[in-house]
Amino acid sequence: MPPTGLISPSCIYACTRFRVRRTTLLPREEYLRIMRMSIPEVVAHLGRREYGQELMDLAHDFAGAQLIEEAVNRNLAQSFRHAIAIAPGDLQTLTGEYLNRWDIANIMAILRGTVHDIPRQQVRDLLIPAGEVDSALLDRLLGFTTCNEVIEALKDWRLYPVLAEYYRTCGEQGIFARIENELYRQYYAGLLDPGTFGCSGCQELIAYLRFEIDITNMRNLVRLHCAEEACDLTVIDQTMIPGGRIPIAFFRRLYGIETEGEFVNVFLQTDIVPVLAQAVRELRQDAGFSSVDAAELVWQRWHQHRRPIHEIEIAVTRIRLHHLESLSRRHPFSVLPVLAYLERKKYEVFNLRAIARGKAFDLPPERIWQYIVL
Amino acid sequence: MPVDDIKPTRSGLLLVRRRMALAERIHRLLAMKLDGMMLELIRLTEQAARERRELDEKYAGAQEMMAVAAMMEGATGVLLAALSVETSPTYTTGYKNVFGVRLPDLEPVMVKKTLAQRGYGILGTSSVIDDAADAYEDLLMAIITSAELEGGVKRLLDDIERTRRRVNALKFKVIPDLTETLRFIENQRDEMERQERTRLRRIKKIKEKRAGTL
Repeated sequence: MPPTGLISPSCIYACTRFRVRRTTLLPREEYLRIMRMSIPEVVAHLGRREYGQELMDLAHDFAGAQLIEEAVNRNLAQSFRHAIAIAPGDLQTLTGEYLNRWDIANIMAILRGTVHDIPRQQVRDLLIPAGEVDSALLDRLLGFTTCNEVIEALKDWRLYPVLAEYYRTCGEQGIFARIENELYRQYYAGLLDPGTFGCSGCQELIAYLRFEIDITNMRNLVRLHCAEEACDLTVIDQTMIPGGRIPIAFFRRLYGIETEGEFVNVFLQTDIVPVLAQAVRELRQDAGFSSVDAAELVWQRWHQHRRPIHEIEIAVTRIRLHHLESLSRRHPFSVLPVLAYLERKKYEVFNLRAIARGKAFDLPPERIWQYIVL
Repeated sequence: MPVDDIKPTRSGLLLVRRRMALAERIHRLLAMKLDGMMLELIRLTEQAARERRELDEKYAGAQEMMAVAAMMEGATGVLLAALSVETSPTYTTGYKNVFGVRLPDLEPVMVKKTLAQRGYGILGTSSVIDDAADAYEDLLMAIITSAELEGGVKRLLDDIERTRRRVNALKFKVIPDLTETLRFIENQRDEMERQERTRLRRIKKIKEKRAGTL
């Protein structure tokens, strides 16, 4: 991609298309309308929108919330593959790189299915071919009977070296978790690759990704701390994603802290705290919730060995998305509008899925609404 | 030797007395065992009821966590995490002896797992999957504990029923029969003694009469 100031017409065209596509996503009022519907009404309503084709295709195999989830997943996969197809040059490379996380999930599901001898159709239903590895290759991978064959067939995949390096014996205890962690670490390393720094909006994208990494690392540190037995520092090193604004050594230090004062002081130094405080303010409609309150809230959960509150996680995601969108408006002809669209589309699908599943479990609408990312 | 075959003799009387003492001793022991088993049953039943209430709560909690996990990660995400399980949870069976009753003793194996043992990668999942896994592991533990206690209650009830029948048989059949036999033998022996005395008096009188005529 040419440096800032020399934006190619194809890039301007693609970014405009993505901005237009962004406007076709469901607005807030539409969610409020869907929240009042029953599951069959939601199916009928979505059938009249862009999900109609997928719903028609899947209606004979699935029903209810499952039908909605499968249809929106399929639509997501199609939208993302279309996004890769229409993005030009380096935008396409970056989009592909960004969507690689779907490939990781798919390939890990195939490997696990192969080892545990899960029926192929069952594994097939779990795959969302929204990344670079297309449905045809995934179907071919599903046809293999051993992991070696699967890995051999993935030689052209960009994360193949990680698979080849870490994979030793098919079925070795815990090997898949290690491979999966390493694939995600490598995925982020690829996204933060210095080779992409020159493109328009890439500095902002990298800053955004580094912040996402910080939040993911902090969340995972709390998860590790919740375990009944303390983990050693090598586990922290293996599960933290390098490249964030907060160094891994900081998380290692944080893991060992067991006093409130020290924890709050150290945690207040991170740039997660203001975002967390804002998320809680918005969630609880409490204007007086400060950064210190946020740090104390995290301490309470930390001290009690409890995991993050899911509603707050969702609120943080909302803020993250708003931040990405404001970045995309500031850099309209860069990779940011593409990623803003991809993220918004992803959360539209997640929202519809959350509504369908919430309704299937008879959860009250107010509770479901807390899991909607707008 | 059946009671009917017992002769109303001294040896018969001793035999019945011995049997009577044995029956009373067994009755006393079985009654004590029954009391003990009843106390154990009450304790176990209360514990089982408590565990069942906890099981219901954990089931509701697990369902709710599953709903949240399905909302946040989708059924696909939950199933993908479930696909990662490398060692299925199970249990071993053993027995513990309570008043001679073999109560089941179930030991969970690989039910509560660490993050590493669950098989999924931390970076590919979110904390809601951990919460759902925790909730279902707790539910499985509660199911195993509940099954152990309820199995124990059932076995104890069966044995209480059996013991109660034995106690009742001793109390209302064996001991009254033996008492009856004992009384019968004693009556018979008294009768025989009276007959013997009468016979001796009669002989004595005959002898005195013969001596008078001579």
